[in-house]
Amino acid sequence: MNEYIPLQAEITDIDRVTSDSYLITLQILDDVEFDYRPGQFIMVSVFGLGECPISIASSPTRGRLQICIRRAGKITSGIMDSMIGDVLGVRGPCGNGFPLGTMRENILIVGGGSGFATLRGLINYIVDKRDDFGEVAVVYGARTSQDLYFMQEYKGWQREGIKVGITVDVGDESWTGNVGMVTSLLDKIKISPGSAAMCGPPVMINAVAAKLMSMGFYRSEIYVSMERHMKCGIGKCEHCTVGPYHVCQDGPVFSYDKVKDWL
Amino acid sequence: MIALISKEDMVPFLQAVSRKMEVVAPVMDQGTPAYVTWKGQPLALEGENPLVSPVKLLYPQREVLFRYIQECGSYTFEEPEQKARLILGVRPCDMQALKVLDSLLYPEPTDQAYQNRRRSAVIAAVSCVDPGVGCFCAQIGSGPECKEGCDLLFTDLGPRYLVETFSPAGVLMLKEHPEFFTPATRSHLQEKERLLKEAREKIVQARPWISREGMAEAIKNADWKSLGERCLSCGGCSFICPVCHCFSIYDQGVPDGERVRCADSCILSGFSRMTSGANPRPDPGQRLCNWYLDKFEYTPQKTGHLGCVGCGRCNRVCLSAIDRWSQEVLK
Repeated sequence: MNEYIPLQAEITDIDRVTSDSYLITLQILDDVEFDYRPGQFIMVSVFGLGECPISIASSPTRGRLQICIRRAGKITSGIMDSMIGDVLGVRGPCGNGFPLGTMRENILIVGGGSGFATLRGLINYIVDKRDDFGEVAVVYGARTSQDLYFMQEYKGWQREGIKVGITVDVGDESWTGNVGMVTSLLDKIKISPGSAAMCGPPVMINAVAAKLMSMGFYRSEIYVSMERHMKCGIGKCEHCTVGPYHVCQDGPVFSYDKVKDWL
Repeated sequence: MIALISKEDMVPFLQAVSRKMEVVAPVMDQGTPAYVTWKGQPLALEGENPLVSPVKLLYPQREVLFRYIQECGSYTFEEPEQKARLILGVRPCDMQALKVLDSLLYPEPTDQAYQNRRRSAVIAAVSCVDPGVGCFCAQIGSGPECKEGCDLLFTDLGPRYLVETFSPAGVLMLKEHPEFFTPATRSHLQEKERLLKEAREKIVQARPWISREGMAEAIKNADWKSLGERCLSCGGCSFICPVCHCFSIYDQGVPDGERVRCADSCILSGFSRMTSGANPRPDPGQRLCNWYLDKFEYTPQKTGHLGCVGCGRCNRVCLSAIDRWSQEVLK
């Protein structure tokens, strides 16, 4: 089998998430089992433009494959310009995903910006398997209130007993919530130490990790989903290396103690 | 199995082989040796190792991974087929490079494009009895003798070659062409050992300060800031390295076209840069340090083999003329 040949996936639904981001639902057309774990990603192709890694934004418990795309470069623009019924290439699922088997009952989820897409999959997984988890809190920050992802889902998460804290870097008249870094929310939300799952810019990750360790979290139990430039997604092209690790194969989820020197 | 073939018989032997498969061998091309499809030219098996490694025949700098063909909105895919060929004249350092690539590209998920090319080639290596001035394979442990991995091994014994077989494909090659080969004896093997001992001494004498064990310490002590200031980030060292295998992938053609793999280099400034503009290795010194670390620390951790085979090609192409295996750099 040639690992570079993708499966074909039809776009079955497109939802606007923010002014420059879409939530796209894909239906795999090939006759194969496509099973994935929260935190994994796929390599998405627009034939003629190329292929890039995109995190899976859905939970496998809901029987759908969704990705959240922000217009950033050539290929993401190509995906956003596609229409319902168009066929994209999909390889994967790639990477390890969050280590749900070894994570503790109490989980804190911290997201920044578009990094929240991969965490949505994890949150909805927890919602669907709520009895397997204890105290769960979500802390999420974006640049402005217009940049917040999945706003209509927060209430549903809260109904499942998940604490949700939202903050923006820059407030405006329409925003009545918190303004400031996600770290400023960590004091306000009461959480007991457990495992943490994070995805966002390196500055945020380092600041939040330092804060969490001061709150009693172990650095080996702070899981970070890393972003790197990727080409192959199967650990061969060497674009995504951090030290001895390939983010595409050994990651994208690493415990903070493993990768703190390379953030 | 061991045998002898006279140098005059090499041309008819290769002619016989080339009736069944493509033969690739080093010949003189505008004054320098290069691997080309052999069509009867005089062979250039002696002297300096060609600048472009024969590894690039099996892991090309540009290759089509598959073709995509669109029909009514969905796609069909076609994979390129590989033809059988004999690659003659592969030096021990390049054989070791193939071994490292095997250990990186074969494990699941297997790089099928590489495996297909690799498996369709018969490899006839040559012992390096006449090493180049920049070689340090003996210190690294990859030469000048070839101990495994090839199908056939040729050793230059003056008027003739000693031929040793290392695989069933190698044995078959000899059995299919018995008219060119005569029996060899232990004395021929002893002669080979003597020549390789001399070659080994010559290599070690040229750069006695290099050792596998000393590399970790040398990388720790190297002045990456000043090396980074001299490095032009052209990527030449890794494009020419037989072990370096970084690649990029791009599409060519709409609505039908090809997905192409091409060589890339971790020395280039944009290699790790993300769409956001964030670059984990923005400094040339950092990238050069990562190049050494990958060869002497990360690749050994992953595969048990060094990521350097001591061929010295990186020095031959460096635009800044950085002698990266000098005593000055490897303090």
